[in-house]
Amino acid sequence: MNQLPIHLVVNKEDYHLFVKPNRVLLDVLREDLELTGTKEGCGLGKCGACTVLLNGRPVHACLTLALQVDGCEITTIEGIGGEKMHPLQEAFVDKGAIQCGFCTPGMINTAKALLDENANPSEEEIKQAIAGNLCRCTGYNKIVDAIHSCGCQSKKKKGGIK
Amino acid sequence: MRIRPFDFKAATSLADALNQLDQAGSNARVLAGGTDLVLNMKKKNILPSMLISLHPIKNLEYVEEKNEMIHIGALAKHADLAIHPILEKYVSILCQAVGLIGSWQVRNIGTIGGNLCNASPAADAVPPLLALDAAVVIATLHGEKTVPINSFFCGPGQTVMKPNEILKEILIKKPLKPSAGCYLKLRRRKAVDISLAGVAFQAESDPSGQRIEQVKIALGGVAPTAIRVPDAENCLVGLSIDDAFQKIPMCADKAANAAKPIDDVRATADYKRTIVNVFVQRCAQHVLTTLKNYRGQS
Repeated sequence: MNQLPIHLVVNKEDYHLFVKPNRVLLDVLREDLELTGTKEGCGLGKCGACTVLLNGRPVHACLTLALQVDGCEITTIEGIGGEKMHPLQEAFVDKGAIQCGFCTPGMINTAKALLDENANPSEEEIKQAIAGNLCRCTGYNKIVDAIHSCGCQSKKKKGGIK
Repeated sequence: MRIRPFDFKAATSLADALNQLDQAGSNARVLAGGTDLVLNMKKKNILPSMLISLHPIKNLEYVEEKNEMIHIGALAKHADLAIHPILEKYVSILCQAVGLIGSWQVRNIGTIGGNLCNASPAADAVPPLLALDAAVVIATLHGEKTVPINSFFCGPGQTVMKPNEILKEILIKKPLKPSAGCYLKLRRRKAVDISLAGVAFQAESDPSGQRIEQVKIALGGVAPTAIRVPDAENCLVGLSIDDAFQKIPMCADKAANAAKPIDDVRATADYKRTIVNVFVQRCAQHVLTTLKNYRGQS
């Protein structure tokens, strides 16, 4: 099984790598790029802990072969926010939406993709979007609250500019 | 969870994919989104010697109107189809169904072609396509062939496609008269679960919106492949919309009787049959009400 070349843009940085065909994106992110923010939960595409953004859209890094995303842009939790936390991350902290934290990277990625698509989602839309992200600690209410408050904030900001 | 080693080839075009697949032999598989194939490789249910990946092929993700037909490229992703304006306008039943597949993460990379080729009896895209009398175009080394969707599936996980063929596109005839459709699916979880039973109900009235001219009902998850239920459909065809409402219970009974569910880990056969009955009634109510409202508007 030969290693094959791929080019990935992860968190806006270029990576030229050689990977074996049987490695999923999750392994390459965690082991080769040492971006261990992305978690492996079930490894079977059910829990959403491994959610990363592929060209801006949430996907399971555990079910996506690395070679399959050659040339694509990937965002992991390390690429969200910068010097300061992203407003979503702040909202998760403020609202107590993090307990053990294992689901949080995937949850934030899904939420970010939702807010990028729909700046002010309804509670129902938030629940639909995060349906594929399991959290065994919080009971989801605080997560939904956090995403909702962030949506409201971005609406306020837009209003302010006008 | 590790995947057994295999060789990997990226196809640059459909023709290239067909050639590579033909040379690779029968233990090679085609990779589209991979949400099911990679999962089954992890579980060691499928152990291919080679994957031919279609990911570099960007011109198979289209949805196009050409004369009276809608063409959907096999690599179109569920998330895009679920909100596609052409599909929403003509065949919203398909948008409803693909929007219920898996999770958002799965819909963002999973493809409609993959959903069909995987041939799960519970695949959500299949009952609406049956109810829309769709056809699929299969690419072979010697050209293309068109197969009606009702003769595409042979059994659970089996289609009429040979190992060296690739699904290219799906064809749906645009409804020319007032039409409405509804897809309902039963799951144990509200999201991210395969369907225990799915009911697709598509109906067309005459241009004045008085009489039901065509009814197509398809059931998923309650037989070795998704099935149409002509006896149930015929209960409503030719009736005025108001009379059709009265016949809904009879139609639902016939659909439930035609279902051949089995007891399995998810539910008993009796339960699935009951659900088919209830869902056909709900779908019919919704569709007939929509058609009646069209009449009100015209």
